[in-house]
Amino acid sequence: MRDSDRKRYLAKVVDDYVRRRISRRRFLSTSAQLGLGAAALGSGMGRPFWGYSPAHADDMLQPSKDVLDWVADVSKPFRGTTLKLATESTPPSNAINSQLKPYFEEASGMKIEIEVLPLEQVLQKLTLDIASQLGTYDLYYIDQSWAAFTSRDVFDPREQLADKPDLAMPEWRVEDFLPALVDGIARYEDRLVGVPYDIPIFIMMYRKDIWEDMGFEAPTTLEQYYEQAKAITDEMGPDMYGATGQMKSGHYSLECDWTAWLWGHGGSIFNSDGKFSGNDERGIEAMEYWTRLYQTMPPGVTGWTWDGQGQSIAQGVAASMMSWGEFFPYFDDPSATKVSGLMEAVRCPAPKRPLRTVSDTGYGEIPGVGHQGGSSLAVSRNSKNPDPAWIFMQWATCHDTQVLITALGGGTGPTRTSVYDDPRIIANNRVGPGTTRHLGVVRETIANDMGSEPDLPEWAELSNDTIPVRLGKYFAGDYGSAKEAMDDIAQAADKVVSG
Amino acid sequence: MTARANRLRWLVSGESAFPWLAPLIAMLVVFTIYPLVYNVWLSFHEYAPFKRRVEPVGLDNWSALLSDDRFWDSISVTFTYFSAMLIVQVVLGMAIALLLDSEQRGFGLLRALLTLTLVIPPAITGMMFLLIEDPEFGVLTWILERVGILDGTNPILATGSTALLGVMLADVWQWTPFMVLIFMAGLRSLPSEPYEAAMLDGATSWQTFRRITLPLMGKVIAVAVLIRGIDLFRIFDYMFVMTSGGPGTSTYTLSLYAWQQTFSFIKWGYGATISLVSLILILIIANLFILVSKVRW
Amino acid sequence: MMRMLVAYMVVALFMFPLYYWGTTAFKNAKEIFNTPPNVWTFSPTVRNFEEVFGISLGFFRQQEVLPGGGNFYMAPRLWDTIVVALGSTVLSIIVATLAAYGLSRMNFRGRHAFVGWVLSTRMMPPVAVAIPMFFIYKNVGLMDSYLGIILIHAVMNLPLAVLLLKSFFDDIPKDIDECALIDGATRWTIFRRIVLPMAKGGVAATAVLCFIFSWTEFIFVLTLTQTGLKTVPVVSSSFVTSTGTAWGNMAALGVAATAPAFLFILLVQKQLVRGLTLGSLKE
Repeated sequence: MRDSDRKRYLAKVVDDYVRRRISRRRFLSTSAQLGLGAAALGSGMGRPFWGYSPAHADDMLQPSKDVLDWVADVSKPFRGTTLKLATESTPPSNAINSQLKPYFEEASGMKIEIEVLPLEQVLQKLTLDIASQLGTYDLYYIDQSWAAFTSRDVFDPREQLADKPDLAMPEWRVEDFLPALVDGIARYEDRLVGVPYDIPIFIMMYRKDIWEDMGFEAPTTLEQYYEQAKAITDEMGPDMYGATGQMKSGHYSLECDWTAWLWGHGGSIFNSDGKFSGNDERGIEAMEYWTRLYQTMPPGVTGWTWDGQGQSIAQGVAASMMSWGEFFPYFDDPSATKVSGLMEAVRCPAPKRPLRTVSDTGYGEIPGVGHQGGSSLAVSRNSKNPDPAWIFMQWATCHDTQVLITALGGGTGPTRTSVYDDPRIIANNRVGPGTTRHLGVVRETIANDMGSEPDLPEWAELSNDTIPVRLGKYFAGDYGSAKEAMDDIAQAADKVVSG
Repeated sequence: MTARANRLRWLVSGESAFPWLAPLIAMLVVFTIYPLVYNVWLSFHEYAPFKRRVEPVGLDNWSALLSDDRFWDSISVTFTYFSAMLIVQVVLGMAIALLLDSEQRGFGLLRALLTLTLVIPPAITGMMFLLIEDPEFGVLTWILERVGILDGTNPILATGSTALLGVMLADVWQWTPFMVLIFMAGLRSLPSEPYEAAMLDGATSWQTFRRITLPLMGKVIAVAVLIRGIDLFRIFDYMFVMTSGGPGTSTYTLSLYAWQQTFSFIKWGYGATISLVSLILILIIANLFILVSKVRW
Repeated sequence: MMRMLVAYMVVALFMFPLYYWGTTAFKNAKEIFNTPPNVWTFSPTVRNFEEVFGISLGFFRQQEVLPGGGNFYMAPRLWDTIVVALGSTVLSIIVATLAAYGLSRMNFRGRHAFVGWVLSTRMMPPVAVAIPMFFIYKNVGLMDSYLGIILIHAVMNLPLAVLLLKSFFDDIPKDIDECALIDGATRWTIFRRIVLPMAKGGVAATAVLCFIFSWTEFIFVLTLTQTGLKTVPVVSSSFVTSTGTAWGNMAALGVAATAPAFLFILLVQKQLVRGLTLGSLKE
């Protein structure tokens, strides 16, 4: 079989497996017959320490034996330990929980209990655990907006590496994580709050067919994006809207949308004095832009979180969204959506004005149109089993596991540089569920466009309540003007920050 | 000595109320007195995130309530919701109970079907109505747009004036059958003599209802209002799932606000204070109601 | 006839959301979100149920449903819910019948106030109870255990149960007790052999209500459990994921969870309607 054919066939097999058309056993044996992996793996990954050999080719989408051997080896003193983790229901956690966990459990003799919850409930569990310092959980799943207040309750992985050399996984390096992610998600002041674990990030996703029908090119500036969206809504509404959003009042998702437009107009949430600056000239300009764009969206957007937003694309009600790239593989799944193969991913449109730099903003806020909502995974200082938890954490975030998560968990964005180049990831670069064809865009967005929210202990309150509740009021028409709304937010936010 | 022995014998003989009540008292003390005391204590303290402990703040939490617009908003939402739901559910419940109170074949099935709404957990009911009221894909939205009540620009749950109605719909759907059950049980046990007399007098059915059924049912209605009222005042699940309190603050109830302060912002002291206010308010309302309606246990 | 028609229409109106939710459980994702909504026409699939229960119903289908491994595998959670609801119902009925008998038969000063206090324990917002309970449970090891949840659900239901049962016991003439006492029976015998059997219907009605309130409770289970057990209301929120909500699976669980509770209600249907008079008509 020629190499290109082989690749295409592998893509199909992976596709079949992801859609559960074939059993795991058949999938593994088929991919083994294809003999893929050995050569490709060797070339794609630099020099993995466990050195794949052709004999291991049948382990293609099975955890690498070397990794599991290492797990078995270091876990000897900890057999029988039970580790607990509360996490949002994200692709990596789901892939680990439903498919990969048994391998780790078998090798280590430990038991992993993962509690899968919606984001708000994870926060609730986490705060209760931190406040009580009872060590209910051994590992924390930490959304980037919680980094500040959890920072003192988790181990810095660099310290763990240094303090426990005998527990360190060979080749498990913090440097392999995309540096922008380490800064944006895991860093708080001079500490690392764990390592980046997942990275949902805003990219531009649009209906290629509609864009072509309209004679448009993919939008390159925000203004152009608005004009295209408006033209589509004018032409095709109310059956099809040009844009869509996640604008549910009082919900974190509304704040996420806001930051993208704010940063895209050169604004920032805080100025360098630590005062709210969303009500300055650029902030108002952003609000006016957003208000115009809102007119091109389905009227339901103010009731939607990312779920409704994603559905509006998936069911062919809206033609584009600048939002979480995690949705892209879902759109390509023909059993769930009406737009399989029709979507295209590109980088977000360029900002209207130059972005502010970190020194112009407060609390480590990093302006950028590509709003990131990544999370990190860290070992809790309150845990009674920090060493076994550290072993699990290394396993869950190592190269091999991340590849499997991305391949099996449906095209979620990896946080390690090396994973993007792994042939098992590249093999899925085709239309179909679990596609990875958007990951190039994700990687570029992380490197160039990424925007990160500020890190301050009050941020959870600001981002989940102060800001989105008032933005919700604004879109419900409770304020006279954008200026009035933003001034009100400024006043409330400054009050929250000053305590 | 003998007096004491006698007393002891009396205690275990079953003639004293105490042994009968002991398990109840034990459970309630552990599970309700302790939390109450704890919350009162907590309301004079606040959690200090960076010290990882609770620190005394005196009356700060209580005085903060006075100037907290969100708190007053949530009080007014709670009262609106509480009174509207009581009225609607009592009236509708009574109407349906009267309608279904028949020995005819088929009505038994209808009554059994109605109880189905009660076994759905409110958290799931919330999701169910979220789907039904979805601005783009919801079946209710679609119907209302068809008949011209909605014009497609005002999502039910994201418009200030209709969001609370949208949430109420779920509550009415779920709990009206509860009222129907209680009222129907009441109707079943009414004496038949007054009705025979009324029939002889040639009273209209409205007169019969107004002059006979309603007075006789007074106690049943009172108890139903009390039970449902206590739960309505603490309403939480529907808003939590359907609107997160929005848009703006138009569906923020006291319970939801207390929840948010406690769990999302880790302001345990302030959350406890709000909960206590909620407790005090419902205690006053319930006792007034018991006094006025002359419910005796 | 007219009345029958209206009655059917009213009940149909109440059943419609359930019908819609029920059919959602049999739709695939594409059909759940459609404009206009698919009310009657869709191609039914049992996929949602297969995922929730980890079993494949189609013998010849190639697709493999991960047994016990998928994220939406919820069968054990249904079991948890049944254990908790039954356990807490039994516990609250035992404690409440004893107390209700005491309150109904013994006179003591402050009885009215005592009943008022019992009722008032239901007025505390659950949010406020959750935090202190979290600390207690963590310290005594009740966290994340059946016993812990059964206890708190039983307590939550006690006020209502005591109130209801007391009114049923009040309906049973006290003369019966007096006669039996003269014949040499103890209070305990009277309670067990006479009063309890006579109030059977009331006890059943109370049990149903306790069962329902435990079955549907949310906040305590959310706060006081981790991975050991979870009940249906709480676990249904885990269908809300970062890449959208699994509506079909959620509906499938909702439908499956309705069945046991509804069965329980049907079993005691007669007593339920008779029992709920609350005895409050008798003076």
